[in-house]
Amino acid sequence: MMTEMLVILLGFSILLFFQALFAGWEFLKAKLKPKRRFPLLRLPKVVLLECIENLDVLEIIMFSLLSKRSKKISKLIRWNPIDIRWASGEEQQICLKLSKDPGLEWIIHYKKKKKFIPIHSPWKYPCFQSTLLGPNALHFLFLKDNGIEDITQMMEHICEVFRSPICEMHIVEKSLIEWIIKFQPIIRHVCIRENVLTSVESMDRVLKNLEVTESFWLTFNALDAYFQYKEPIPFRCITVNNSYWLTLTSILNGNNSIIRLRDSKLTPTDINTILKEWQMGFKLRNLEYMTIEAFTLLDIHSYNNEVFTNLPNDVENNGRPMTVKIHDEYIYTLPQVPPMHNIIRSDGMILSIFGHYEVSDSEKTKVLLLLQVWGQKT
Amino acid sequence: MSSTEQGTSSAAPAEPTTAPESAAAPEVPESFYYVHGKDKVVHKVSAGALQHSALIHGMISNLGYTEEQAKANPFPFENIDGDILQMVVDWCNQHKGKPTPPEDTNLPKQKEKLFDLVLAVNYLEIKELLTYCCKQVAMMVKGKSPEEIREIWMIPTDAEDEAAEKEAKKRAGKEAAGETAAAAGDAK
Repeated sequence: MMTEMLVILLGFSILLFFQALFAGWEFLKAKLKPKRRFPLLRLPKVVLLECIENLDVLEIIMFSLLSKRSKKISKLIRWNPIDIRWASGEEQQICLKLSKDPGLEWIIHYKKKKKFIPIHSPWKYPCFQSTLLGPNALHFLFLKDNGIEDITQMMEHICEVFRSPICEMHIVEKSLIEWIIKFQPIIRHVCIRENVLTSVESMDRVLKNLEVTESFWLTFNALDAYFQYKEPIPFRCITVNNSYWLTLTSILNGNNSIIRLRDSKLTPTDINTILKEWQMGFKLRNLEYMTIEAFTLLDIHSYNNEVFTNLPNDVENNGRPMTVKIHDEYIYTLPQVPPMHNIIRSDGMILSIFGHYEVSDSEKTKVLLLLQVWGQKT
Repeated sequence: MSSTEQGTSSAAPAEPTTAPESAAAPEVPESFYYVHGKDKVVHKVSAGALQHSALIHGMISNLGYTEEQAKANPFPFENIDGDILQMVVDWCNQHKGKPTPPEDTNLPKQKEKLFDLVLAVNYLEIKELLTYCCKQVAMMVKGKSPEEIREIWMIPTDAEDEAAEKEAKKRAGKEAAGETAAAAGDAK
């Protein structure tokens, strides 16, 4: 017992010794480093701006954060428009791209934690890393994640300095809903992560106060399994995970062009109604593409019979485009198979339906229906 | 390539060396001009090299100096240190009549002098060299942390800026009060 204690103590002392040694070395290095100082702000304004113009994106950000004066100087330059995105995975990232350099990406990555290795280098922030990903070069600036406020402040700062709006926003927690509504209510892409929206009120707040012009990606976890939402989602392109709560009424009253539903509770009869309503031409006028992922206990034949009840398979497959523009950054290539059903509308538009079926272990069949709207070229 | 003479007075610059003659066709002899900085050391520079400087080029064109007149009246740049002017002259000579490359490896390496060099180049209006210098200044902070950038470029904090501003206001106030008092004294 005593020996074990001694070994632990010895190990701990060695650890402390190396830490102290490392800290001493760092201190010495800093002291010995020759100071090369350049009074940048004393340069004539035109020259000063030319110097700043030569900085890369991350350097501009770091410089502009140094003081009010450096921010003011940075704002004097007309930077090329920059693509600003808040991306999220396990950790948060601000991704930046210049329109003139699409192969270069600048990423501010907020690290939650980093393994502490005393003998090498205790992780110090900020730190940099560059990497190649195919033809693209990624430049990372790692910062410590001290909470969401740091990141929102950084986003505001970047938008102000580069005079560019946020292009894409991943909402990872509730407080960000209020922030984005206040800061930039019109935005191209929004993705709402799991467990952010949990009530009708929060859902309404988003749908009534944000204007998403390109794509809206939503994972909504209703507290109640029987919860239903009947209001339309007022955005051009919507993708809904766990869409069991989204009703037929909501879809029919919407004006969406692209609808992608995963884990939907729409029945074959509901889908039949969608097809009929589209054919009549009063609802879903703007529909271009729709996917429905649902589960059924019916066999495929009965399921399809219900889906296509009173809908004759009308037209041939001549000149059907093989791609669908989901949003301004994503074009989807359709499967190279003929559609299983075609429906024609009085204005000549055609709705082609493709089906994909997968029988799972739970005896349920996973159905994936793809609905493509297109017009024959005259 | 013209030479640089050091230690000669502005009144007696050395004779210009004549350009080597080509065997195929005789070249027109190059004209030379003379400049000096704060240290009064006169540098002899060819008109070709001086074309890099919009300021000197303009002076030459406007004055219409003959070579003798140019020799007798070197252009004085009292606000430029001698060694900085030397660097500028060297650069102009090295890039005489050549298209300037996108990256310049001949840029002076003395980083400590970079600030004075940038000011001189800006004053002399040597556009290409200024572009290189500005790139060099930006390179100083490559891979540096915000605090390192602050140190290298001597960026004051907001508190320091505010203190400096207060100090300047106080000084200006005092000076204005002093002037008013002096004017009142004169009036009496």
